[in-house]
Amino acid sequence: MSARAFFLELPLPFSEGVELQERLVEARARGDIPDTVLFLEHAPVVTLGARGRTEHLKLSRDELAARGIELAPASRGGDVTYHGPGQLVMYPILKLGEREADAHGYLFNLEEVGLRTAADFGVQAWRRPGLNGIWTEAGKLAAIGFRIRRWVTMHGMSFNVDPDLGGFQAIFPCGLREPVTSLRALLGGRCPALSAVRDRMAVHFGAVFQRPLAVRGGNPMP
Amino acid sequence: MNVPSDLRYTRTHEWARLDGGVLTVGITDFAQHQLSDLTYVELPKVGDEVGAGDEVAVVESVKAASDIYAPCGGVITEVNAALPDRPDLINRDPYGEGWIFKVRPASADEFDALIEPDEYEELLPGSEG
Repeated sequence: MSARAFFLELPLPFSEGVELQERLVEARARGDIPDTVLFLEHAPVVTLGARGRTEHLKLSRDELAARGIELAPASRGGDVTYHGPGQLVMYPILKLGEREADAHGYLFNLEEVGLRTAADFGVQAWRRPGLNGIWTEAGKLAAIGFRIRRWVTMHGMSFNVDPDLGGFQAIFPCGLREPVTSLRALLGGRCPALSAVRDRMAVHFGAVFQRPLAVRGGNPMP
Repeated sequence: MNVPSDLRYTRTHEWARLDGGVLTVGITDFAQHQLSDLTYVELPKVGDEVGAGDEVAVVESVKAASDIYAPCGGVITEVNAALPDRPDLINRDPYGEGWIFKVRPASADEFDALIEPDEYEELLPGSEG
């Protein structure tokens, strides 16, 4: 079965995204569905990874709520991050170890997808050893955090196209005191539409992971 | 990827070594490579009764979290107490100092039911790609 991509159009509450992924991971581990990649935007939320520390929050749960930002735990690796509209989130539900490309390591491949996507829009980005995400001269453009259950992946990468960067001011992203940037901040009026970035990311994903994606509509669960 | 020939394996990338009726268990070179530099290990408790395929430990890197599964049913007899302070031992020496726990199998044939090295190697992607 070839890999599938789903482009979810509504800003999805984070908790619904987690529930959907958990059901997809179980279905993928059982072999009921092929590798599946979700592309979506979240409603505003600050998430704490499994080792996330609340001292990396600058605002309390109530103060976040007053700004319309939910606070949610996440079972992924990594510390604290922000998701919101204008940020492209990619959640691969992949059974690892089934393609030659997997020998490079999942993290390396995810970063590669982010770097190639940035390059398509004229943004030079790079890895920083030991740090989360992909980086540009203006700061971090994309964050990475994932979980592997039964050797099926969940969570993934969030890539800042044109989010409200003010959302990141509620936290020390990933526990680091480093700036966060977006394609909008880097490119101004030349910033592409989120759908254009999503389409390029899906193509790069297919090439890097050797899993060409067929875009499907409807419900990702059978 | 390094796949030692004297071990048995699982489809979830654990290895097991049989010694005196007890299995020593860790994660394979493939698994540690996927997770990158580990920063945290959650161990089972000595005396825990586990079933084959149960989640018994958790390992985390800067970016990833992954469950570790029991290769067989039995009782946990020992855990690698060095790991909480030195999770990097799993990356440096996954088949040696990076062992995670020991389990006494409920039945002696559990070890033989695990995957042979050559078969495990076939489950892995090649290093060219």
